[in-house]
Amino acid sequence: MHISDFFKGTTEISVTGPKIIASFEVFGVTINFTESILLSWIIIGAVTLLLMWLTKDMKTKNISKRQVLAEWAVQTVYNLVDDTMGKGNRKFAPYIGALFTFSILGSLISLFGLRSVTADFSVVLSWALITFIWVHATKLRTNGLWGYLKGYASPVFVMLPMNVLSEVSLPVSMSIRHFGNIASGMIISGLVYYALTSITKAIGVAFMTIGIPAVLSLYFDLFGSFMQAFIFIMLTMVNVANAAEAD
Amino acid sequence: MDFLSIDVGTILFTLINTLLIFLAFKHFLFKRVDGILEQRQAELAATYAAADDAQNAANADKEQYAKLMSEAKEETARIISRAEKQAQAKGDSIVEDARREAMAVREKADRDIAREMAQAKGELQGEISDLALELAQKIMEKEISGDDHSRLIDEFLEGMGDQA
Repeated sequence: MHISDFFKGTTEISVTGPKIIASFEVFGVTINFTESILLSWIIIGAVTLLLMWLTKDMKTKNISKRQVLAEWAVQTVYNLVDDTMGKGNRKFAPYIGALFTFSILGSLISLFGLRSVTADFSVVLSWALITFIWVHATKLRTNGLWGYLKGYASPVFVMLPMNVLSEVSLPVSMSIRHFGNIASGMIISGLVYYALTSITKAIGVAFMTIGIPAVLSLYFDLFGSFMQAFIFIMLTMVNVANAAEAD
Repeated sequence: MDFLSIDVGTILFTLINTLLIFLAFKHFLFKRVDGILEQRQAELAATYAAADDAQNAANADKEQYAKLMSEAKEETARIISRAEKQAQAKGDSIVEDARREAMAVREKADRDIAREMAQAKGELQGEISDLALELAQKIMEKEISGDDHSRLIDEFLEGMGDQA
């Protein structure tokens, strides 16, 4: 992409899913390798390198600034997990921290002009499925098989469909919320670019595309990305913590 | 791919990716930071223990010094009182010696005086008796038995001496 292309703005809008880079068949199932996965790998690689650098030769005294940052990050996640799930659940902290980071970076990668990973429904659905399975595994462990099954028929047996629906609605609502926010932000940003490009063409001022999109990007990218990542981990923690309480 | 689509491949890859980033967080961040925090905790505990030990040792030293000081004070008092007693005794003995010596000197002086007085008295007696004898010879102008008369005169003078 040339600089001149950038100043040309957006001349057409297309609402599509992630591009398929490669596609192959495994046991008759088509496995697509999409740009979401490629960007995920870039994010994971960058995060892994960043973490290795942050925690490189840590000391107990006279600590470096990056060690302060690493300790602050760990402490913050620990405090959040302690507050939300109660003490004794710190073993879940690495997953919560990883999910939050993956989600927020997956959304913020749009700042580089790339497609947000979290604007791919399959990605957020995967995370919601992890939460779903986690919640139900916790319920099984807490109440036992009989108690778990009885939970669906409480308070009366007639409530069974409602209970099943409410359980299924958790991953659906979580994934749709996350996907919807980021993807709609992406579409709105695209529409604004398109509109501003049209205005630029109409009045002949070439710099309408600079400034206004930045303000929108502040909300849709920075604030939205942070909020959705935060909401996702909070819902995960709260639901797992609730599942750990015996009915 | 469609805008809203559920893709099995993406889900599988994302599950693996999530596992990967979870492992990265666990091993490169949480484990390492936990390790360093534990290490710091241990060092802190060790530092506190060392400080407590030092405090206890200092307290023990302080008690020891206090004991030594009080012992030294007692010792000083004992030494001073002993020295005072010795000085007193020595002074007393010096005074006693001086008095004894003075007494001896006086006694000797007394004896000397008495002896010299006796000697002077003897000499005077001899001279006076000789004088008296000579005087009597001259008065009586005759020979008198020296021995008899000299005894008489001695007796007379003895009486005089006693009176004197």
